[in-house]
Parts: sequence; C-alpha cells; structure tokens
Amino acid sequence: MNNPIGSLPAEFENTHEGVKILGFWVFLATDVMLFASLFAVYVVYRSRVALGPTPAQIFALGPVLAETLILLTSSFTVSLSLYAARQSRLKSAIGWLVVTLLLGASFVSLEIREFVKDVLAGHTWHQSAFLSGFFTLVGTHGSHVTFGIGWAVLLTLELVLRGLTVANRRKLFTFALYWHFLDIVWIFLFSVVYLAGVMT
Amino acid sequence: MRPWFIHLIKLLFPPQVLLPDIVGIDIGLTLSALAIALYLTKARRWGWLWREWLTTVDHKRIGIMYIIAALIMLFRGGVDALMIRSQLIVPEAHFMGAQQYDEVFTTHGTVMIFFMAMPFFFGLFNVAVPLMIGARDVAFPRLNAISFWLFAFGAALFNISFSIGGSPSAGWFSYPPYSELQFNPGVGENYYLLALQVSGIGSIATGINFLVTILKLRAPGMTLMKMPLFVWSALVTSTLILFAFPPLTVALGLTMLDRLFGASFFTLAHEGMPMMYANLFWIFGHPEVYILIMPAFGIFSEVVPTFSRKPLFGYEAMVISLLAITFLSYGVWVHHFFEMGAGPGVNVFFGLSTMLIAIPTGVKMFNWLFTMWGGRIRLSVPMLWQLGFIPTFVVGGASGVMLAAVAADYQYHNSYFVIAHFHNVIVGGTVFGLLSGMYYWWPKMFGWKLNERQGRWAFAFFFTGFWLTFMPQYFLGLEGMTRRMASYPPGLGWGGLNAMSTIGAFIMGVGFAILVYNIAWSRMHPEWDTTGDPWDGRTLEWSLPSPAPAYNFARIPEVHERDAWWAMKQRGETDAVKLSPDQVEPIHVPKNTPMPICLAVSFFVGSIGMVFAWHWMAILGGLGVVAALAYGSLEDDTDRELDPTTVLNTEKRLGRVHP
Amino acid sequence: MQEKKHEDPTLPGESVEIPLLAPHLSTPHFPARQIAGYVASLILTGIAFFLVARHALPLSWLLAVVLILAFLQAAIQLGVFMHLREGRGTTWHLPIIGLGLFVGLGIVGFSIWIMLFKSGVS
Repeated sequence: MNNPIGSLPAEFENTHEGVKILGFWVFLATDVMLFASLFAVYVVYRSRVALGPTPAQIFALGPVLAETLILLTSSFTVSLSLYAARQSRLKSAIGWLVVTLLLGASFVSLEIREFVKDVLAGHTWHQSAFLSGFFTLVGTHGSHVTFGIGWAVLLTLELVLRGLTVANRRKLFTFALYWHFLDIVWIFLFSVVYLAGVMT
Repeated sequence: MRPWFIHLIKLLFPPQVLLPDIVGIDIGLTLSALAIALYLTKARRWGWLWREWLTTVDHKRIGIMYIIAALIMLFRGGVDALMIRSQLIVPEAHFMGAQQYDEVFTTHGTVMIFFMAMPFFFGLFNVAVPLMIGARDVAFPRLNAISFWLFAFGAALFNISFSIGGSPSAGWFSYPPYSELQFNPGVGENYYLLALQVSGIGSIATGINFLVTILKLRAPGMTLMKMPLFVWSALVTSTLILFAFPPLTVALGLTMLDRLFGASFFTLAHEGMPMMYANLFWIFGHPEVYILIMPAFGIFSEVVPTFSRKPLFGYEAMVISLLAITFLSYGVWVHHFFEMGAGPGVNVFFGLSTMLIAIPTGVKMFNWLFTMWGGRIRLSVPMLWQLGFIPTFVVGGASGVMLAAVAADYQYHNSYFVIAHFHNVIVGGTVFGLLSGMYYWWPKMFGWKLNERQGRWAFAFFFTGFWLTFMPQYFLGLEGMTRRMASYPPGLGWGGLNAMSTIGAFIMGVGFAILVYNIAWSRMHPEWDTTGDPWDGRTLEWSLPSPAPAYNFARIPEVHERDAWWAMKQRGETDAVKLSPDQVEPIHVPKNTPMPICLAVSFFVGSIGMVFAWHWMAILGGLGVVAALAYGSLEDDTDRELDPTTVLNTEKRLGRVHP
Repeated sequence: MQEKKHEDPTLPGESVEIPLLAPHLSTPHFPARQIAGYVASLILTGIAFFLVARHALPLSWLLAVVLILAFLQAAIQLGVFMHLREGRGTTWHLPIIGLGLFVGLGIVGFSIWIMLFKSGVS
C-alpha cells in the first residue's frame, strides 16, 4: 500500500472509504442515543424493585470485574490488530483480531452465566421494573457484543481471503471503532449499574 | 380437540376482521393484485420490474417509488379520516362500532405520520438533494435502497393488519397500560410495534445517508452557506432523525418485551411505569413533528424565490432559525404530558422552551413574506400551496403557543382543540409543503409537467375543505369534546360543528381525487419538459435534463455563489454545463442489487413470526436478515464503470455536448 | 478566488487538512500509545473498584468519583483507541459524536428530573 500523503492510513486513502468511515461514526452517534435511552430507563427504574431483589442483593462484583477486564483487554487487542494492519502485517492483524473475538466470546459467555444464575434463582425480568431495566440494558450491550463477534468472524474471513485491501482496512477500522464504543458503554454499565448498585 | 387449522384460522381471522366492509375491501384488494399480476405477466414486464425498479439503487428511482407509496398511503389514511368523520357527522351515529372506530383512528394517525409524510419527504430528498448539491448519487446508494424497502415492507406489515389478525387500536402513540397485553390481547398492537420498528430502522439509515451525503458530496465551491435551503432542511431533518429515532426504538422495543416476553416495563404490576413510555415516546415524538415540518420549510424556501424571481430574503437568518428550531426541539417534549404531574419546575421549563420555538419560526414566516415582497409572483400550483400554507400554519403555530401555556393546557389537553392544532400544522405545513414540492419537482422526476388548471382545482378544494374541517374543531375542543370519542350524545350542541367538519373532510377528499385525476390525465396528455428548467429555476437540479441521466452530472459543476444555476443564466454561461467531447471521463455507478429487497423481505417474514408469536418463523426471518447482511458484507463487486463513449452518447442524445 | 485544491472531483468540499493531522497518524514501531491506554484504563477501573469495594468515601462523593472516572476512561478510549482526530477533510464526526453525547446526557438527566415527580401540586 503506497501512501501518497505519507502519514495518512490506508483506510482514508480512498475518498469513498473515508465517507464510509464518517457514516459509521454517525451510526455510532445513533447508538449513543439508543444506550442513553436505555440508561435513562434503568436509572429511573433502579429503585422500583417491587417484591424482587434490590441491585445490591443480586450483583456479584467478582464476575463483573472479570468481564470488565476481559473487555478492556479485547479493546486493547483490537487496537493492536489495527496497529498491525497499518504496518501491513496481515498475519499479525488477523491474529489479534481472532484474539479479540475469542475474548468477546468469553465475555458474552460469562454474562450469559450471570443471567442464567439470576433467572434460575427466580429473578426474571417479570419480577420487577428494575430487573426489566437491568436485563434489557445489559442484554442490549451483550447482543451488540454478540453481533460484533459475528462481524469479526466475517472480517477475519475477508482478511484471509482478500488480504489487506483498502476496503478491508476500512472495515477493520470501523470494526475497531465499534468495539471500542462497546467498551465505553460497558465502562458506564460497570459504573452506573454495578458499582453504583452495590453502594449502600 | 379442534384441529390445528381451525385454531389458525381463528387466529388469523378474528371477528373484528370479518366485518362486511373489511371483507369487501379484502376481495377488492385481492382482485386488483391479481389484475396487476396478470397485466405484468401478459405484458412480460416482470423482468423489467425486477431490473429497473425492485433492484435499483438509483436515488431518483428510489425517490419516485417513495412518492408513489406515499400517495397510496395518503389515500389509505384519507379513507380512514373520512370514516372517522362519517361516524361523527351526527350524534350517536353508529357507522362503526367503538372497536373499529379505535382501529381506524389509530391507523389514520400512524399511516399518515410514518407511512405517508415521512416517505413523501424521503422521496423528495432522494429526487432533489443529490441533484441540488451536484452529486452523482447519495453517499451510500445500497443503504438507500435498504431504507426504502424496509419502509415499504414495514408499511405493508402495518397495512395487512386490518384484514389478517386485526388492527392496532391504542392510538398512534400507543400509550400503555392500554397497549399492554392485559388490556389489548390481540395481535394488532404487535403489528404496530413491529411495523414501526422495521420502518424506523430504514428511517435511521436514511438519516445517516443524507447527513453524510450533504456533508461530504457537495460540488466544488458549494460551501455550507451556499447550499440551497432545501438541502439545509434535509441536513437538519437528518440530524433530528438520528437523535430522535433511537428513543422510539427503545420505547417500542420495551413495549414488545412486555407483550411478547413478559417484562415489566410499562405494566401496572411489578412497579412498571406507564408514564416512562410517554417520556420516551415524546423524546422521539416532539423532534418528530419538526422532522415532519422542516422539509416543508425547505421546499417553501425553494418555491418562494423561484416563483417570485427574487433571491431568498435573509438566507443567513433562515439557516440560523432552522438550526435554532432543531436545537430547541429536543428540549420541549414534556409539553405533551404536562398533566402527568412532574411538577411546576418541569412544566414551566418545558412550557417556556416550547414558546421559544415560535421565535425562529416567526422569523422564517417573515422571510418568506419579504421574499415575495416586490417580486414578480407567478401563481403556479407549487406557489399556490405555499400561499395556502402561510395563513394555515400561522393559525396552527399560534394555537400551539396557546397549548404551551401550562395552566391553559390543563383545559385544552386531549380535546379537539389539540386535534385542530396539530392538523393545522401537519396538514397545513407538512402536507401543503409536500404537495407543493411534488408539483415543483414532478417535471424533474418524470420529464412532464402536471396540468396547471387541474392542479389549481385540486388546491382550491383541498384548501377550502381543510379550513372547513378544522376550524370548527377548535370550537368543539373549547366546548369540551374530547378526542377519540367514538360517538357523542345529542344535546351538547356539538352536532352542527361536527357536521361542518365532516362536510369539509369530504371536500378535502374531492381535492385529493382531483389530484389523482390530475396525475393520471397529465400522464396521458403529457406536457413534455424539453428544457429541463420548466419553472425558470435557481438551483442546480434545473441545469440538468428532465429526467436526469443515471449518473446525474457528466461533469461535476463548479459553484461560486448561492442559486448557482440562476447566476449562470444571468451571466449567460449556461453552456458551461455542456460537455466537450474531450472532457468526457468514465463514471462509476453502483450496480443494481437484490440484497436490499431480500433483507426487507426477511424482516417482513421475521416480523410476521413475532406478531403471531410463531418462533420458527421469527427465527427464519432472522436467519434471512443475517444471510442478507453477510452477503452484502462479503460482496465486493458493487460498482460498474460507464465508459466515456456511453456517457458521450447519452449526453449527445440529450443535446448537452458542445459541437 | 476559487480554491482548486480538490484532488478528487467526486468528493469536494474537503479542502485538504490532512497535513495538520499527520503527527497523530504515523504508525510508530512500537504500539506505545495502545499499551499506555490499556494500562491507564486498567488503573482507572482498579481505582473505581477499590473505592467502591472499601466504601472509601461518603455515598454521594463515591458516586461522583466513580462517574468522573468513567468519563475519564471514555475519553481514553475515544482519544487513544478510536483515533478520534483522524479524518479526511473536515472532521465532521467530531461535532456529530459531540452532539450525540450532549443529547444523550440530556435525555438521561431530563428523564430523571421529569420522572422524579417532585411535584408540589399537580
């Protein structure tokens, strides 16, 4: 990949790809609004526990801390993948991407385990408005991560098949944006839902 | 035990869809669908339909499809309106039962807002915006097609509800707890939720698409402050859509979780909070009404200068007021539920912010008037709609300020006063604007003009009918008639005003019929637009032939000032848009693709599965969605190149090549 | 008068501002920024977790500190990992994301205020 302006990464090299990156940023802005609405619901519903458990009664910080560390690490590894791609090291880029999606998968499986544990204990979202808000907010983030894993699988496939084409670099860049964005959302989930939930 | 198919039939055809009128409509629709299919088969047009329309990614064709769909929906919503008015013409009329009446006003509102007004201006955006900014297409042509098909299948989903399974009946904003399973056990509400969800995804995609198009694809020299105002209005509308639709997605999604999966968001039990739905819905809903009106403002800002032959008065003020309205519109939503009891602080804040919006809107009104002042005004049909808009919208806006006064709103709330107010602004603003825009850009879409004389009659009937319908409703509201009453007793003195209102509605109906006749007649006796500039226009789309070739501009124009085409005409430089044979370059155009329609069909199938809680079908649809997305992601051969000879020949045929 | 800087006629409106961005765009031979960002986010998470686990502060202070730490972390993700300042031509994504955050925070804040029902009379 020769780079006419020297320091401009290849995903911006083609103007159309640059336009697509802007489009993706705009999409992320709409996703900010989606999560903001869900946060609003959660925060308003936080104390509406009906006959169900309070936040402090069901949140176990240990697994949540593990999820946080996994997601932070995956955010780091996807940035390494992008870093490798920018140095045109294909194998390294694919490798870090695969690590990222494995970390993502372990995050999702931990979260599902937490949910299953709550539901088996009888704490379904039917039980209270608080639980509805909690499961939906956290679950929406989890389904975003799941979607991201599917995307990463496709992207890995494309990188293997076609190499670091300009389009693939752009896709990797937008995927990285998406993944970091989910990390930011999780940081707020961790703080507003879990940490604030166990403060008494 | 009953066999399963009896059970199925009872589910699909509950008593409420077996009323004689509905069955009659079903038969009529089936027969016309068969007739169309037969015609397409006989004329061998299936391939044409597939290649030229169903798989197209050309923004001009997508725009045309949007507008046709919107007109059909205007008909449907209009028939609902006439049914409502027929029911109310005299006290204690029983034209429909209360359940059916509820379904009809619900579909009327939902169809008109989500499936008429929005696609109508999306259509005009598609037709005009890329041409006005000198672009060859929108930023994401394929996403544009996806948006359209999601809207189309969302609308289809909503519209089949009345014949299969039963329509929603909880009003266009569908407040819980009435929309919850406990009180509304049928499938109608599910239709509402899923149809809006599917078309809402399409709307968000359209917002992203036009925002990026306008920010990134403008012709050289067209700075933001040189853009036509319609483009500005498309920009702010897109921004509003981006930030307004996600809360709607959440409100609808949570209701769906309540209904289908037993969550407790808006239920009465388990400390659910029905008013939280109202809060979320109006976070969307209030920007939504500005989403509806901004495009109309943009259209009038093009129509007034063109038909007054003067540049727009106060361009900068117009832009600033658009931005001010956009900003303020995010901070007013509580005025839809002052009565909830959020407290005086909240109510005063939102009442004041609502009143503030009147200021930039007033600025715009005066600017249009000053543009006309001293101009040489031609009373063509687009201009007539504009002139009709001004008094109508002023009345609607003024009654809006009345509603913003919190204490007074406790009286007006939920009465016909509110109905009259928002029809004044949405019909008098949005619909007048959209029809003005349709007449204005029609030659650009099809290459022929709509007949002027018939157009004037359509306007005259619609305008007169409008005032006759809605002015009495203000007084009905003040006399205490609440909205959504299926019937009212005699002796309250409401009969006369209601009868007037109904007569007015039918006059509007005649106006719409004339409009349809106008289109059909003009199609049969086309008045061809050979110049590409039938109105002596000011902006770049009129520098192109009508209709524009697939790639729009063979050579991207350079822009030096506002109203670029007008300036070129004034300087006698119109030949600058023509091409010399040595300037021809190959042009990349996007390839047609079946992916968007397949994606939308998958959404449709999955939604039907959700509506009836058939999980296998929902999963099937979901898999279709995933497959379509994966296909779209993996396919990399999306463009084709038009070679210079093809471009040159096309331009020659259009007479746009220097000898 | 007219600027003629556009390299690509299909994508104008983008006067070239790329050299300005150059310092942030070079890929060094060692991913120091990424590692620094990662370590910083781990430390911030650790502090928040520790403060809450030990109940180290009064409740309202604790909440405020945890929120501030979250915003700091978000800033790190945006700045370090999301290459926020990169873009071709005018970096339109900055005002758009900014507006998104502004309206999003507005929704959360206003919703709390509205749904508190702190009404005297109603």
